[in-house]
Amino acid sequence: MNAVIDAGLRDNRNVPPSNSQALLEIRDLRIEYRGRYESVVAVPNVSLTIAPGESYGLVGESGCGKTTTAMAVMGYLGSTGRVTAGSIRFEGEEIVGASAEKLRTIRGRRVAMVYQEPMSALNPVKTIGAQLAEVPMRHLGASKAEAREMCANMLDNVRLPDPVAMLKRFPHQLSGGQQQRIVIAMALLARPALLLLDEPTTGLDVTVEAAILDLIADLRKQYGTSLLYISHNLGLIASACDRVGIMYSGEMIEEADTQTLFRQPRHPYSQGLLDCIPGIGSPKGARALSPIPGHLPSPAERSQGCWFGPRCAHFKQDTCGVDAVKLAVAGREDHLVRCVRWQDLTRESVALNSDVAVTTERRTALSVNDVSKQYLLNGGRRIVQANESVSFEVARGEIMALVGESGCGKSTLARMLVGLEEATSGSVQYAGVELAHVPARKRVRDMLKSIQMVFQNPDSTLNPSHAVATPIRRALRKFGGYKDKAAIEQRLQELLQLVRLPAELAQRRPSQLSGGQKQRIAIARAFATNPSLIVADEPVSALDVSVQAAVITLLLAIQKEQQNTLLFISHDLALVRHIADRIVVMYLGRIMEKGLAEEIFAPPYHPYTEALLSAVHSPDASVKQQERIRLSGETPSPINVPPGCRFASRCHRKIGDVCDTVAPPVRHASATHEIACHISLDELRTMRAVFQQGTLGGNLA
Amino acid sequence: MSSIDPGLVPLAVRTARAPRRAWTRIFSSPTAVVGLSLIVFWVVLAVLAPLLPLPSPTAQDAMAMADPTPSAAHWLGTDILGRDILSRLIFGARTVLVVAPLSVAVAMVAGIVLGMLAGYFGGWIETIVDRFSDLVLAFPVLILYVILIANVGASVVNIVIATTIASAPGIGRIVRGLVLDLKQQEYVAAARLRAESTLYIIVCELLPNCRGPLLVDACLRIGYTIITIGVLGFLGLGLPPPNPDWGGMVRETTTVINVWPLMSIAPSVAIVSLVLGFNLLADGMREAWKP
Repeated sequence: MNAVIDAGLRDNRNVPPSNSQALLEIRDLRIEYRGRYESVVAVPNVSLTIAPGESYGLVGESGCGKTTTAMAVMGYLGSTGRVTAGSIRFEGEEIVGASAEKLRTIRGRRVAMVYQEPMSALNPVKTIGAQLAEVPMRHLGASKAEAREMCANMLDNVRLPDPVAMLKRFPHQLSGGQQQRIVIAMALLARPALLLLDEPTTGLDVTVEAAILDLIADLRKQYGTSLLYISHNLGLIASACDRVGIMYSGEMIEEADTQTLFRQPRHPYSQGLLDCIPGIGSPKGARALSPIPGHLPSPAERSQGCWFGPRCAHFKQDTCGVDAVKLAVAGREDHLVRCVRWQDLTRESVALNSDVAVTTERRTALSVNDVSKQYLLNGGRRIVQANESVSFEVARGEIMALVGESGCGKSTLARMLVGLEEATSGSVQYAGVELAHVPARKRVRDMLKSIQMVFQNPDSTLNPSHAVATPIRRALRKFGGYKDKAAIEQRLQELLQLVRLPAELAQRRPSQLSGGQKQRIAIARAFATNPSLIVADEPVSALDVSVQAAVITLLLAIQKEQQNTLLFISHDLALVRHIADRIVVMYLGRIMEKGLAEEIFAPPYHPYTEALLSAVHSPDASVKQQERIRLSGETPSPINVPPGCRFASRCHRKIGDVCDTVAPPVRHASATHEIACHISLDELRTMRAVFQQGTLGGNLA
Repeated sequence: MSSIDPGLVPLAVRTARAPRRAWTRIFSSPTAVVGLSLIVFWVVLAVLAPLLPLPSPTAQDAMAMADPTPSAAHWLGTDILGRDILSRLIFGARTVLVVAPLSVAVAMVAGIVLGMLAGYFGGWIETIVDRFSDLVLAFPVLILYVILIANVGASVVNIVIATTIASAPGIGRIVRGLVLDLKQQEYVAAARLRAESTLYIIVCELLPNCRGPLLVDACLRIGYTIITIGVLGFLGLGLPPPNPDWGGMVRETTTVINVWPLMSIAPSVAIVSLVLGFNLLADGMREAWKP
């Protein structure tokens, strides 16, 4: 039924039914997956058009059907997926129902795809050269020698060093970022007209991500390739795309050019998505995150009327809850929104969090002194230096953030604090007790009880064989001094209320909970023992943005109420800016910079901090970013690290050999702000701020 | 803080169909159902054996010895000593269906203990368990059985012991592999942070998550053990006569296989059907529990 309505709507807009201008035209596409027992309509109805040379961003949370749509364009839906209605026209030719032969001439040749996991897109037993050469040989009829040359040129274009040597290597000899460059090179070798990018940078570190994005933008300019860019990262889409479509539960709910959509989102869901992303430009407490309640409905859960209705603050039963909602033109001709009430809605300014932190006397809760952690490999011949001479202090009731890319040793440090690892040297003192060399099983009860941890991965944080309340009950029995069942149950209910979960969830298995619900249970488990220090290791990085905001808001609310000390580990700088009082920036096991949050986000920066900030893509149009700094290469291996500055091999401000050979001095920019760098403070102070936001300039100074 | 987020309640409780229990899911696999039927068929016969109107499995019918082919009195005929084949098959099933699962159960316990020790603690314990496993696994299993049984004599207990020694290392390998992965899970770290004992972590946190692969493996192993018991019987190392024993039945009749093939074929088919039953059930479980 939707199909008819949408088609009619388009006719009203006098758009010719077959747009000869379009490179890709998807109309009323319906995709079903047929299981053994039931059929699932993954994508009920999607229409979109990409013009030649255009970059189109498809955004949505996991499970909204964006990847399925892209797979349909490639003509590959697996053995269970089927296009049951609608059409996909590529360069005027129909892809739906096309013969396998026909698809072969299009796939790889005219349309190419870059997948999320570069390692699984490359054949591990063939050299890079052999895999790349297949493309021109198969699609362009090139000879072996010609193909070699084309491949070497293309590797040069994707800025891989020493292309000829690279051709002889195997995929496992390359880093993740290099692999993704190879996959992009492979996709571009046949000079496709359309490149599908499915979360091409999701598994990569921010500095590597930024470099890949620049590369894609440059190549697009060079070859005039159109892009269909799929991502859940709004900031990334904002900077990489001309037009954006937002999908929700298999439907397009809003589509407009990037400027319009990010400045004037019309659909409550689009507005919600933007509101639940912490802004990199605003300091702690400047604005509250406003999470979208609930979760993305599965195809079986779609409600009557508007599918976003159950989560929408503006839902009205009589207007929204009856008929399926159609796409309507909102203001401009090319701005479509699937909301009946869009005209009545004004985007509410997000409530300001007026609470000013209570300044009480700072009393040190946790002090980490000169902690190092080494792992010996091969009987000690190789040393992994996970942490080296890490020192910092956290005051009671404070939120301290540990920031850094993967492999910087932040998780190892967290595990040492809670007692899952032992430090090789150094001291960790909590409440006057030395903990660095005391593993969890040797710690006294009171100490175990007062330091608890929230883990990263919602799928592994709860035992799939137990009811989700089991670990909470165990913790209460062990630490709470609760002896009889009734008292435990009552406290359990209180804890579930604390994390805002309904009581009946307690008896369920983890497989019946969503990711956000599992993380809430994990938070309840950590708080069950009334800890005074919570170590949270990337607690929301695996969650969708709308859920992420809800979980963070919850964690902060509990922390604020109970005045626990929180050590928050993250790679997300915007999030850290939103929550932290103090920040420690780590790179390859060492602290590069530490200070109050506002000191970290303003000059003087450590060059690494500067690069990290510069790599952030903000969807907030009011945030102005200075020229981007791009680091070359990737975090080197922590095995047998050289003396000198750890960051020297990638530093864009490297001053000479001294960086490679001599460990950098710690420079005190203020009583609280330390930078470990050979560059003098005076020079560091002359750096320009990475972010500038008119209204906040005063605050930053 | 104390109230439940109003927008959250109706949605927090996911309305999606709850995953069906693992056991009921097995019945949706045709493979498993066929396998299970074969097993149930033999179990029912074995249980009801004394109640069925069958001649005694050890009674010799002198009349039938002249013509041991099937007749109204002996549906599958008799063996060369005039004993009813159908009766011997059904009573033979009683032995097999007790000895095979019992052997595997004991081997499972031993294998789980070995695998858990090696996987969870690592270090020198793992080295010792691994070397021991290598030793047993490298030894030709049949020769191992023959040596063991020939030396200590054929009895149910000895067959169980032999199976345990031969199977435990393999089961241990499976458990160790599973535990190496499972012990890295965050819920294990969380358990350590609430001072759970090592025993609790192994038994309550790790073991339940091994049960899927272990059940599949147990089914396959019961099948193999039935074959092994048959082979031992065929080699004359099975339960001592006149107990009905499928392998022994084949052995006793091989000399006349050209004249009366049914005497050997009937027990062979019995072995095949039961082994097939367990293998199909294992396949079906694997299919039904596929993540």
